[in-house]
Amino acid sequence: MTSRRPGRGALGLHLTLAPLALLWLMPLWLMVTYATTPEADFLQPGVPLGLGGALADNWAILLAQTPFPRAIANSVATSLIYTACSIVLTSLAGYAFAQFRFFGRGVLFALVVATLTVPYVVVVIPQFVLVARDFHLSNTWAAVVVPPLFNSLGVFFMRQNFMALPKDMLDAARVEGVGELRIFFQIALPLVLPSTAALGIILFLQSWNNYLWPLLVLSRADAQTAPVALGALVGLDRVHWGALMVGAVVMTMPVLAVFVFLQRYFIAGITAGAVK
Amino acid sequence: MRSLRLTAALLAGMTAPALAADKPSGTITVWGWNIAAEALEHIVPAFNAEHPGVTVKVVNMGHSDLHDRVAADCAAGGTDMPDVTIVENQEAGLLWNRFPACFADMKPLGYDAYANKFPAFKQLDLQADGKVFAMPWDSGPVTVFYRRDLYKQAGIDPQAIATWDDFIAAGKKLSAATGGKVKMATIYKGTDDEWFRMLAVQNGCYYFSDDGRSITVARPGCAKALAKVKDVWDAGILNVGGWDEQIQFDKTGAAASQLYGGWYEGTIRSNDADQSGRWGVYPMPAFEAGGRRASNIGGSSLAIAATANKPAAWAFVSYALGTDAGQISMMKYRGLVPALLSAVDDPYVKQDQPFWGGQKVWADMLETLPRIVPYNATPYFTDARGVMKVVVNDYLDGRYKTADEALRVAADQIAGASGLPVAP
Amino acid sequence: MRRSAVAYGFLFPYLAVFAAFWAWPIVQSIVYSLQNTRGAVPVFSPSANWGRLAGDPVFLRALGHTLAFLVLQVPAMLALAIGLAVALNAPALRARALFRFAFFAPIVVGEVAYSTVFRLLFNGQYGAVNKALAALGIAGPDWLNEPVSAFAVLVIAVTWRWTGYNAIIVLAGLQGIPRELYEAAEVDGVPRWLQFWRITLPLLLPVVAVAAVLSIIGSLQLFVEPQLITRSGPGGATETLGTYLYQQGFRAFNFGYAAAIGYAAAMLALVVSLAQVSLFRSRT
Repeated sequence: MTSRRPGRGALGLHLTLAPLALLWLMPLWLMVTYATTPEADFLQPGVPLGLGGALADNWAILLAQTPFPRAIANSVATSLIYTACSIVLTSLAGYAFAQFRFFGRGVLFALVVATLTVPYVVVVIPQFVLVARDFHLSNTWAAVVVPPLFNSLGVFFMRQNFMALPKDMLDAARVEGVGELRIFFQIALPLVLPSTAALGIILFLQSWNNYLWPLLVLSRADAQTAPVALGALVGLDRVHWGALMVGAVVMTMPVLAVFVFLQRYFIAGITAGAVK
Repeated sequence: MRSLRLTAALLAGMTAPALAADKPSGTITVWGWNIAAEALEHIVPAFNAEHPGVTVKVVNMGHSDLHDRVAADCAAGGTDMPDVTIVENQEAGLLWNRFPACFADMKPLGYDAYANKFPAFKQLDLQADGKVFAMPWDSGPVTVFYRRDLYKQAGIDPQAIATWDDFIAAGKKLSAATGGKVKMATIYKGTDDEWFRMLAVQNGCYYFSDDGRSITVARPGCAKALAKVKDVWDAGILNVGGWDEQIQFDKTGAAASQLYGGWYEGTIRSNDADQSGRWGVYPMPAFEAGGRRASNIGGSSLAIAATANKPAAWAFVSYALGTDAGQISMMKYRGLVPALLSAVDDPYVKQDQPFWGGQKVWADMLETLPRIVPYNATPYFTDARGVMKVVVNDYLDGRYKTADEALRVAADQIAGASGLPVAP
Repeated sequence: MRRSAVAYGFLFPYLAVFAAFWAWPIVQSIVYSLQNTRGAVPVFSPSANWGRLAGDPVFLRALGHTLAFLVLQVPAMLALAIGLAVALNAPALRARALFRFAFFAPIVVGEVAYSTVFRLLFNGQYGAVNKALAALGIAGPDWLNEPVSAFAVLVIAVTWRWTGYNAIIVLAGLQGIPRELYEAAEVDGVPRWLQFWRITLPLLLPVVAVAAVLSIIGSLQLFVEPQLITRSGPGGATETLGTYLYQQGFRAFNFGYAAAIGYAAAMLALVVSLAQVSLFRSRT
């Protein structure tokens, strides 16, 4: 790899990529500066390119208008539980689709993938009726966490990963009489761990930013998740732009930090899934 | 054993309603949006002075979130519905038509005693099939809210604005004085058709006939209204934005006035508290000198869910909306224009308002109520609005030759969506 | 037989969630689409919704916008994602982590914050975009309030948010291409652009196909941006199948018609995706 010498090509690469990267970061940077901008300065001539002095004020408004710390705690808890459960379910299912030939496999897998094409807004009302009226699960963590566990993309992704495993190795274990569950948890799953971690990040993000479903199933104020609490600041009589941005920054930055930290593994994990 | 049970049941049957009527108790949840929720929260202590046994929890949420939740909850047979919810009058017909079992009939709860306390036109949307689904709260008499200082700087005399043409001329004067930076009002161009509706109702025209059985939007009164909206738009004196932007325009002085329903008073007063004394109101301009200067936009009501703690919910609703104390308190706090007839005679209405530069804004706005032409939003309001926001936008952009042509297209589309015939 | 039992054992928890929380809602929503759901009691009437679609100008307009978005945005975004992935994978690149961060970060931002920032950015009067354009001597449009520019905002917003996501998928594919192939080409004196054309692109096709299918499905369900940023305006210029079905379901409470729109979009997604996949298959 060192044979490729940095030259005019490398300069051009950086000169193209750097402005593009700045452009891409601009909305995020503005989110941060808006979080420090006094409310009266929104939609005024002059874009706040640097930090302002109203962070504390905006934070105070956020705390006064929404149960934000509680909502963040709810979000962290539900997203972590969701991620853990979803990883287990999707990898079990992906493993079955990848490693076993069984009756109905093709049809079942096609069905799972086909559900991706159905817009969620169509399903959400009957799903809510089921969860709220028939199962009486409103305002429970189960209601937020369990229905989204049917994650087709996760199954698809894990199936790709498990297809890359050498079948011989697993069969050798079977010959030695190792149980199927032990083969899965002790041999197969550890081999795809980087991919599982990558999937975990995606699943966490989906749950973390989920809006419509938590809005519907969590009607009690103390059960709200952070996106719903923030959404309550929009379209109201008084528009709390700054507070909204503070909330957004609080929701985004820790996740970004984790992302930066895990970035190397994340891409390695996705790579493992993409290459068969 | 058997007779004992019977006796107990009889006793319970005899005493329970009496007890319930005397002392409602328990916790009720109330959903509202914006200033309406704040106003309800404001009267809870006074309500509790009369009903100490009832705990009221008001939940304030955005209009869209509230709507989504009511849709889902009613579809699920009313599970998770709050005890009391706000319902916008124009959307009421749709709710009763689609989910009649989701809401409690207020008649058995004692509504008849209140029926003559509200104007008939405010109750029309709230009743269906002989049932009363909600109690009227506020109305939205259309008025012009204006900045005294900005008008003065531009040399505009609000008292001299009698017609829409005067309004346009004033707007041009304002533009000239401010280099085009300050506009006369805000329009939700392309995302709503409220300007059209305000002017149409002023002209005695609406999407639908009063009996709700046909589409009347292509009638001359509506065409005249639409053409006038275009005149105002073409003059270049309107800001374009949505609700959030409009509020911000008021804060920053990018708009010198706004045309809106009376309930917008509370929005201005609570958002722009630092501008006390600088605001005023004047009646909406007429189509021609001496013409009608009254219309209505919006207005809400409170409904009780079928699954509610009905005695407690009814106690709260009838206190909040059915008493002068409740309605006047909410008007004072957040500027909601009472539909309760007796509230109009409250001394507070006749007082000078310091925020409004000493003007008697309540008397001025409420005075227009009798001249508002009633209209029927029907269960198809949402469909009609969806069509009209596009047609009005296209007409303002010059994609139709005449207002009449635009509204004929609209009428056909509304017919397609609703199944109602177009009135000849 | 035993294998089947074991396989279903592994599938059980996942399928149990499907059976309990998805199977019935999906069936129910298909049933809705066959009913007139305008009144309090649904009435079986397949033509009420399916018959309405073809003659409904709003549906046709939403369909047109959705397809235009699909044709304009998806290829552009995928091309950009491939370019980005190749650039981010270039050995000569310095500060790689920083660049990756810049392009991948948008995925993390929640929809309420994202849409509010974009509404502020593209405000015609006060927004940062027009301020920047003015500095370059260009008078920017009133982005959100003119039909063409509002549609452009949709394209820009979705591209901003999802290009990095697709670039990750492509990057993963790139890293799976054996280095030896390039080294051999280098020895043979094959120029870089030809290497890209002859080695990189063909070997990337399967991965790009996955990214393409996901983007097609996403486009046909496009909702967040037109709902929260452009509010399907001005004058319905950014109405999409996603916003229209939400409007019918959650605003007009017409669940049946909403379901018909939704399943029309689903069928379209299925057809376009399958066509896409078979096209890619025939190329490789």
